[in-house]
Parts: sequence; C-alpha cells; structure tokens
Amino acid sequence: MDHPRRILIVSSHPLFRDGLKSLLHKRDGARVEIVGTARNTDEAIAALKTHAPDLVIVDHDDTSINRDEFLARFIEDQQPMRVVLVSLKETGPVVVYDRRTMAGARIEDWLNDLEIPQPKNALNESRRGSMKHFIAVAILVVIVAVLVNAGLEALGLMPVQASAQAVPIDNLFGMHVKVIAFLFALIVVFMVYSLVVFRRKAGDTGDGAHFEGHTGLEIAWTILPLATVLYFSYLGAGALAETMRADPQAMEVKVIGTQWTWRFEYPEGNVSSNTLYLPKDKQVLLKLSSTDVIHSFWVPEFRVKQDALPGDNMVKDLRVTATKTGEYKVRCAELCGQLHATMESPVVVMEANEFAAWLDKEAKSIPTDPVERGRRWATQFGCAACHSVDGKAGIGPSWKGVYGREEELTTGQKVKVDDAYIKESIRTPAAKLVKGFTTPMPVLTLSDAQIADLIEYLKTLK
Amino acid sequence: MRILSLGFTRGVIAQIIGSALGTALIVAIRAILGMPNNDLRDIEPAAVFGGFVGGIAFMLGVGSMDDWIKWMRGIATPEYHGPDPNKPRWQRYFDVDYDHKVIGVQYGVTSVLLFLLAGTFALIFRTELAAAGMQFLSPDLYNTLMGLHGIVMIAAILTGVGAMSNYLVPLMIGANDMAFPRLNAFAFWVNVPGALLVVSSLFLGGFDTGWTGYPPLSARAPLGMQMFFIGVYLVGLSSILGSLNIIVTVLKMRAPGMTMFRMPIFVWAAFATSLIGLTATQMIGLSFLMVLIQRVFGMGFFDPTKGGNVVLFQHLFWFYSHPAVYVFILPGLGIVSELLPVFARKPLFGYKWIAMSSLAIALVGFFVWAHHMFTAGMEEYLRVPFMYATLLVAVPTGVKFFSWVGTLWQGKIITPTPMLFTLGAIVVFLFGGLTGPPNGTVATDLHLHDTYWIVGHFHNTMFGGFVYPFFAAIYYWFPKITGKRMNETLGKLHFWLMTPSFWAVTWVQMFIGLRGMRRRIADYDPTQGFEPAQLLITIAAFLIALSVLIFLINLVRTMRSSERVTDNVWNSRSPEWQLPSPAPDHNYADRPFVVVGEPYDYGLPGSTYVAMQTGTASARAE
Repeated sequence: MDHPRRILIVSSHPLFRDGLKSLLHKRDGARVEIVGTARNTDEAIAALKTHAPDLVIVDHDDTSINRDEFLARFIEDQQPMRVVLVSLKETGPVVVYDRRTMAGARIEDWLNDLEIPQPKNALNESRRGSMKHFIAVAILVVIVAVLVNAGLEALGLMPVQASAQAVPIDNLFGMHVKVIAFLFALIVVFMVYSLVVFRRKAGDTGDGAHFEGHTGLEIAWTILPLATVLYFSYLGAGALAETMRADPQAMEVKVIGTQWTWRFEYPEGNVSSNTLYLPKDKQVLLKLSSTDVIHSFWVPEFRVKQDALPGDNMVKDLRVTATKTGEYKVRCAELCGQLHATMESPVVVMEANEFAAWLDKEAKSIPTDPVERGRRWATQFGCAACHSVDGKAGIGPSWKGVYGREEELTTGQKVKVDDAYIKESIRTPAAKLVKGFTTPMPVLTLSDAQIADLIEYLKTLK
Repeated sequence: MRILSLGFTRGVIAQIIGSALGTALIVAIRAILGMPNNDLRDIEPAAVFGGFVGGIAFMLGVGSMDDWIKWMRGIATPEYHGPDPNKPRWQRYFDVDYDHKVIGVQYGVTSVLLFLLAGTFALIFRTELAAAGMQFLSPDLYNTLMGLHGIVMIAAILTGVGAMSNYLVPLMIGANDMAFPRLNAFAFWVNVPGALLVVSSLFLGGFDTGWTGYPPLSARAPLGMQMFFIGVYLVGLSSILGSLNIIVTVLKMRAPGMTMFRMPIFVWAAFATSLIGLTATQMIGLSFLMVLIQRVFGMGFFDPTKGGNVVLFQHLFWFYSHPAVYVFILPGLGIVSELLPVFARKPLFGYKWIAMSSLAIALVGFFVWAHHMFTAGMEEYLRVPFMYATLLVAVPTGVKFFSWVGTLWQGKIITPTPMLFTLGAIVVFLFGGLTGPPNGTVATDLHLHDTYWIVGHFHNTMFGGFVYPFFAAIYYWFPKITGKRMNETLGKLHFWLMTPSFWAVTWVQMFIGLRGMRRRIADYDPTQGFEPAQLLITIAAFLIALSVLIFLINLVRTMRSSERVTDNVWNSRSPEWQLPSPAPDHNYADRPFVVVGEPYDYGLPGSTYVAMQTGTASARAE
C-alpha cells in the first residue's frame, strides 16, 4: 500500500475511540492513519470536510449519534469515502457503506485491497451524464454558429465589389467569417452552458469536480488550430498572389500623393488629372509615390491598398482591374497630417472606348493661353488645398493679389513677391516663410515652364 | 509649507524648474552664437534639452535617487524601510516608498487617472465625430487628441500592468518585497515626468501623427512631437526597469517549495510579460530617439532627401510595438486564469499548458511585427513569411481559451462582480482574437488595414485583454488592499452597463470599417452614409463613461465606509489571502510559509497550497 488509509472514528465513548485507535495501530501500523476522532454528529460531519478521511468508523451502539442524519450528509458529496458501522454488542459481519454506491463490502477486504473497487454501473452513469452535456452543447454550437454566419452574410459586410482583385479577397474574408462564427459559438456556448448548468446552488458551499487537465485534449486543441492557421496562411498566400497577378498589357498610371491631394499622370498622351479615370476590364499598374509624407491609396470598392512613400527609389506598384463602371473615391488611408480626412479624389470607371476618347481629348486639350494653363496646373497640383483665391488665409497665404505684394517673413525681413521669389518658394519651400505661416509647403515637381504658367495665372488674381 | 513635504509636489516643481533652466541654457548659448530664438521651431533644441533636464530634475526632486546618492557618498542606509511613524500613512503614497504594495497602489492610482484622462480625450473627439463636418474641433486639435488618446491609454495600461505585477508577484510567491525595492520606486516615479511631458505636447503645438509617430510626418510636426518622444522615452524606461525587477524577483525570491510550476498562474503571465518588456522596449525608445535626433541635429535617418528610408522607422517601431500588445494583454489573461478557478471552485484546467502558452505568445510575438506593414511598401517577399508567423499566435492563444472553458466545465460557478468581469474578459477578448486572423492573412488585410475594422478589433483585444481583467482585479483584490469589499450592486451595474455599450461601439466600428470608414480621420464623407453609425458609437461611448463613473463612485464610497470583511473573502487558496487584510508591511516576515500542495486544488478535500507558520519572531532572511 503506497499511502496510509485515513481513518476517522466517531463515538461519544472515549473507550471506543481510544481502544479502536490503539487496536488499529497495533494491527495495521503504518497502513492506517487516525486523522481524527469525533464525539457527536456535528463534529463528525465537520470532520468529513476538514480531514477528508478514506474511512469513517461509527459506533453502532452509541444512541447519542444521529445515524440517519449523518448518513444523509455523508452521501451528498462525491469524494470517494466509506463508512463502517461497528458494534461491540452484536456479532455478525460489519456493514460498510461506500459513499458513491452505498454498496456493502467487508472492511477486512477493503483494508487489504490496493484499489478502491469502482462499481461499473456508477462509472457508466457518470459518463452517460457527461455525454448528455456534450451532446447538448454540440447541438447548440452548431445552431449558434449557423445563425451567426447567416446573420453576418445577410448583413452584407463588404461594400460593392468593383475590381477583379476584390474577388479573391472577398472569398477569403467569407471563409474567415465562417471560422469566426464557428469558434465564437464554440467558446461562448460552452461558457454560457456551464454558467447555467454548473452554477452553484444557493446554500451550497462545496467545490466543483476535481480534475486538473487532460493532456490528450490539450494536444488536440493545439494541433487542430495549428493545422487550421497553416491552411489559412496557404489560402492567404494564394489570394495575395491572385491580387498581384500581372497583366503584361497593363496600362501604367502614376499616382502622386501630396498633402492633401492626389494627382494622376497618364504617360500615354502626357495627360495629368486630379480625377482617376480608369477603363473597365483593363488592368492598370499604379505607380505610387509621394512628394512629402506617407499617404495610402485606397478605393474601398477595389479593396486593395498600398502606401505611397516619399523617396526616389520608393515607387510602389499596385494593380487594379476595375470591373464595374461608376464613380468611386480614392481615400488616403495613412494619417498624413492636418487635412488627412479630406484627402479624397474622385475615381471614374468608364467603358474602354469612353476612356480612350477621354484620354485623347485631354491630350489635345492643353490650353494655349498661359493663364489657363497656369490655372490648370494650380488645380492639378492641389494648390487650392492651402492657398485660397478669395483672400481667406489657409495653411498658406491667399493668392488674391499676391503677385507684387510685399510680405514680411518669419525672420522679420521683407520680400517682394516676384518671379524669383515664387520660383524659390516652389523649389525650396522652407527657405523663406511668410510670417504667420509655419507649415512649409511640400516640394512639388513642377517644370520651369509650368511655374511660368502659374505666375501668369497668379498675376490675374487681383 | 505642508505641501512641499510631499515628494510628488517637490518632483513636479523640480521638473518645471529643471525644464525652464535647461531651455534657458540652450537659448542663451544660441543667443551668444547669434542664432535666432524667435519661435517654437527655433528654440526646439533648447526645449528638447529642457525636457530631458526636467525629467531628471523630477527624479531628483521626488527623492527616488536619494539612497543611491548616499551610497555614492559612502553613507549607509537602513536595510528595512518601513513607513515613517512621524507622517500620516496616506502620505506614503505621495512619497518615494520602497514597499512593493505601496508602489503597486501608486501604479494603480496613476493608471486609473491616466485612463480617465485618455478616456476624456476620446469623448471629446468622439463628440466631434458624432456628425459629419467639423463642429468644434480644428483638424489639428483632433489629430493631437486622437494621438494623445492612444499614447496616454498605452501609458495607463503599462502602469496598470505595473500595478498588478508589483502588488501581486511578491505576495504570490512568498517574497517580502521585490528584488530591487529602490529600482522599483524609481521605475514607478519615472512614469510621472513621462506622462507630464506627453500631456504637455497638447500646449506646445500638439502633434498630428497619432501615437505611432511615423516620419516623415513626425519629422515635420510641431514641437509637441518632441515632448511626446521624450515622455514616451521615460515611460519606456519604466517598463524596462520594472521588467528586470519582476524577472529577478520571480527567479530568486520564491518561498521554499514554490517551484516554477507551483507558482500562481498570474506570476507566469507577469514573468512572460517582463521578458518582452525587458528586451523589446528599447526599440521604441530607439526609433523615437532617432526621429528626435533627426529633427534637432538634421540627421537623415528617415529623410528621403538625405538618403534615409521611411520604412526603416516602421520596422524599428513595430519590433517593440507589436510585442508591446502582448505586454498589455498577457497580465490580463493571467488575471483571468487566476480568478476562474476561485469562482468555478475547480482546479485550473491544464496549468502547465496555460503557463507555457504565455511564454509561447511572448516568443512568437517577436516574429510578427511586419504584419502592421503589409501595405506599407516593405519588400514584398516579407509579407507571406510574416503572415505565417502572425497566424501562429492563434495557437497558444487558443490553448488558453479551451483551457478556460475546461476550467468552467462541471465547476460550481458563482458570479460575484470580479467573476463577471473575468467572464466578460474572455468573451470580449475572444472576439478581439477571432477578428485578428483576417488582418493576418495579407490579401484581406489589404482591404482592412487602416480602417475602423482595425479600430474595433484592437479595442476588443485591449478591453478583453486588459480593461476587463483590470476591473476584475480591482474588485477582487480591493479587500486585500483595504480590508473592505466594493459594493456588489454597483459593481454589477458597472458591468451590465459597460458591456453592451462596448459591443455597440466596436461592432459598429468594425462594420463601417468594412464599408470604407478610414481610421484616424477628423471628418468623414457624408455620402458614405456613416452618420447614424457614428452617432450611435458616440452615445455608446458616453454610456461606457457613465459606467466608469459608477465604478469610481463605488470606489470612493467603499474607501469611506468602515465596514470590514474577513481576511479571505473569496475563499481563495492563494498565499496572499492567508495573510490579514490589508497585508502587513514586509508581507510574510512574521509568517513564512512552505508550499505543500498545488495552487488550484479546489475540490480536493484536505489539501492546502501553503503551510504558514504564524507568530514566529524570526523573520526569514531577505
């Protein structure tokens, strides 16, 4: 026997208690440990909890012990424990009660036995009880998962799908939603079920079942999620590759972000625009860059997103094949300073022939009047975001009457706004800031001819 | 001058004087050299120097370095520090004190105050967002408040983590204090000048970058940006020193018989957290310091016109800032694992698996940072490997959830307020966790990145991983700290008001995020039809604020009441509950204990976790 049997003796007679104690010690030595004695029913019931004996020996002849009450309390708990009623007056076999089954057995057998015999029907009963819980939970999990998934799908989570690249993304997201619905249902149903079914009854001060874990289960719920996430990574890589699939016939468009406007340049036809015009069903290779801080190109209906970075060697690619004609907006998705929120530009998807016509018209429509050209550059380079033409101060000085005006600089110097100053202010914006304006302008890529046009336009703003 | 006898006031005054002197010194040098000092941009180097000097001045003024200075001068200091009998007891909390329990409470109160501040920032800009168009904030102020909400919340969480680990770890492992009590006090107090500097940015032009401070935007932002950098630097220093202290304490100061696998599970969480804090925090300090230096000395680290690379910053930044989210959540998950067995009256299911899953999350967390950069323009071939690494985090996290469910199964569950918040933490964090994988697979992230979906997702992880467990911890250990128990009715009201409001906020956020709502924008396009949703989010946010107000009322009422509860009010097996409440100075000095059983053997009659000797005069050697 690997550990001594813990025994509690219950009797109001000291002779019974001490006599039995010394007898057991003499006979069984280290195999038994008398963990305590109790003199009445209350003490005995309390000792059941505090001493957790394996065996309780009760004086059968002691009428001061309320045997019925004691036995009623004794069978309440699930802890393996037995009670034996011993009589000094009467002869015959002693009665042993097992807490779990209340089936009789003989004390000598038990003391010599290594294993506490587990009656088979009791074990099956507790297993059947567990199975009942598991089946109930499994049914509930399936119901809740299906309902959550159906609800989310009915809600319509994604906006209009308007690009070829959106298709693999939406498909993958749909699979994610299914897994989310299932796992959410699994955990929450188990929790809520436990809270309802295994809630402690009022007045009960006992503890729950004592089990510390299950290595097999732990391994299972490590391996299965591992397999799932590896599979999802594999799917994710496939979907990513699909969004990046290159069409060698793709049309190139340069996308230039500047605080807080977008500009789109079409190398075919040397056209530039503040509205992104795209032909339907033709892949467009966007070449993204920034003149100042980080911006991010995102049209929610196209799904794909890519940051536009400053730096000559940092031009980034993004491929979009628009599939639905209509008007959308490119919305800057990377915080880019004060007016980030308003950095949105229209996107127009047209039929291929309409697009060709637009591009052709734009290429031929560059005005001959320098003032008109200047106005055009001012629009395209987004000057109006900071410079008003009506005298209102913005992020930068208003252009109304700016040409020829004398301005005071932050250094206290005075400067006349002439061709040279305007050119310097565009090329190196931080060099001479006008007093009252602290944010330097971003460096813009205007050509000398464009600057000349712009100056002509400024002269007209009286 | 009664007020000057408080270390806190001395520190703040020293910081103000130090900042002024430091700034004046550089301004004077610039003037002598003939350099301009006309506006904030000119005096930026002076203000940065002043900021650092002010931080050091605070630490000297508060007295956090007194003992070290004495040692340098060859003066001995007493080994055992008790409360000063000549001062009222409350004053300990405003002075440098070496008792880990006092420091834990100091962290906790700081955390709650920072929470209220950051929450107030959120309510202000949330109100602005209730309708399209700009109503009462300027875009600049919106951006600053939004960035401050983020960074002050992070400071609040870090100090909250400090509160839990400082108060609990020594008590749970049977130590009488932390391994380095002076370092512990230093690590707490350095948060205060840090927080003051961060908040001062509001008055120095603000910053328009959000808490992430990406250059080139942060290289061009107003002076407030620099104060933000210095403040974060100091708070980060606190993390590093605090983590070091926890690691040494856990490894060296455990009671006899307390093997690593017999520690209360929260200690494992605090230990894993500290491994991250000690090794990763340097990187955010470095990345912000590089921008600071770029601005002051004109270096070109992240300046493309000087050959710098803007993506490099993001790698450095996220190398800390991703593991940092595990610093935020691991202690909270530890609280969940700690409280569930107490209220399910059942052993923690799979103790070793839960302990190891914390370490696994900490480890894997170091290899996933670039998932914040899938659209950032880093090398394209990095995206797929980082996707695989990112999704791996789901595995140890899943082990925790399944084990928690296993703990509840067939328990005898009771649901007082701390248990409600524990269960709330599980469900909210579950939702935060489940909405993570769509951001982890690159293709879907191309759509989700930088939208309100992400905002909803991480608020779920932060609430489930920190806010709910922190409230659970406050309700649970409040009787330990004060001997008084917080009101149950108000506690339940707090829970049942906060939870639906929180779901309303984040579910709606995630939904409109999918539909095209960008994050971090001061205003939004009314044609997208998000106005009703934004109004709903704002109303729900105010309801969360109301629930927190109820919590504060409960806190103050309980503090004022004189009703005491029994020492072990939750009938826990953990050693700190075997002590009188409030816990005595020097914890177990008079009651050393030996670990004789497993920590969570609820339901095993007759078993105990620790055997405590009471009344022994001989204190165990420190």
